[in-house]
Amino acid sequence: MTTWLLLHYKLPNKPSALRVYIWRKLKRLGAILLHDAVWVLPENPRTTEQVQWLTTEIQEMGGNAYYWRANTILNEQDQAMKQQFSEQVDAIYSDLLKRLEKPRTDLQEFSQQYQEAAAKDFFHSKLGVLVREKLTSKRGEKS
Amino acid sequence: MKWVTWENIGVDRMASAWLIRRWIDPKAEFFFIPSGEKSGPKDGEPFDIPGARYSHHGGHCTFYALLKEHKINDAILSRIAQMVDEADVIQEVSIEPAATGLDLICRGLRQISKDDFEALERGNLIYDAIYAQLKFDTAK
Repeated sequence: MTTWLLLHYKLPNKPSALRVYIWRKLKRLGAILLHDAVWVLPENPRTTEQVQWLTTEIQEMGGNAYYWRANTILNEQDQAMKQQFSEQVDAIYSDLLKRLEKPRTDLQEFSQQYQEAAAKDFFHSKLGVLVREKLTSKRGEKS
Repeated sequence: MKWVTWENIGVDRMASAWLIRRWIDPKAEFFFIPSGEKSGPKDGEPFDIPGARYSHHGGHCTFYALLKEHKINDAILSRIAQMVDEADVIQEVSIEPAATGLDLICRGLRQISKDDFEALERGNLIYDAIYAQLKFDTAK
C-alpha cells in the first residue's frame, strides 16, 4: 500500500500571483490536483520535505494549509492513483520518444525535459529507461 | 551557543551547520531532535525547523536566511546559497548544475554515517572543499 501526502490550502484572494506561484511549485514537484481541492504526492523523503516547506510558505503568505500523510482504504484506488502518476510522466516520455525520431533534434532541450520528467517519475516508468537510452545513443551521433 | 535542528540532516542543514561553525559561532554545539518536534534545549536556537527565524522564508533555504540575518556579505557564500536553494527548494529554473549532485552527496553522507553528528562533521569537509574551489576559480 502506497503512503500518500495530501495538501489542501486556502490563500488570500489577492495578489493572485501567489496562487500561481504555489500552483506552479506543486506542478513542478509532480503533484496531482484531485477535484480541484486536494493535491496528492507519493511519500518519499524529498516530497515529504518539499511539501513541508510549501506548507510553511503558504502560512507565511497569510494562507492556511493542512498537510496529511494518508493511505487509501480501497486497494483499487491506490492502484488508480499510481496509474495517474505514471500516465503523467509517460505522456512526456512518449512525446520525447516521438520527437527523438526526427533527424534534427535539440538534445539539450530534450535532456532538460527528460530530467524534469524523471524528477517526478515516482514509480519508475519503463518508457523513461527508453528515453534515457535514446538520448545517450543520440549523443554520440555525428550530424 | 546551542543550535537545534531535526535529525536526519541533508543538504541545507549540513550547509547551515558548516556556516554556523565557520562564520557565526565557532563554539556552536548541535542538538538533533525528532522530525516534527519543537522541543530541545530551552536556550537552544532552532534552525531549519518550520516557523523558526533561521528557516525557509520567501522561497529561500535556511542557509540563505542565516546569511541574511547575520548580514554576511561574501560572494562565494552567496554562490553556495544559490546552490543550496536549488538543491533544497523547488525552483522554476536551475542555473547551478552542481545543486543536484550536492543534494545527492549530502543524502548519501547521512546514509553512510552512524549518526547526525558524524554526518555533520563529514559535511564540513564537503563545504570546505566547495568554498575553497569556488574561491580558487574566482581568484583567477
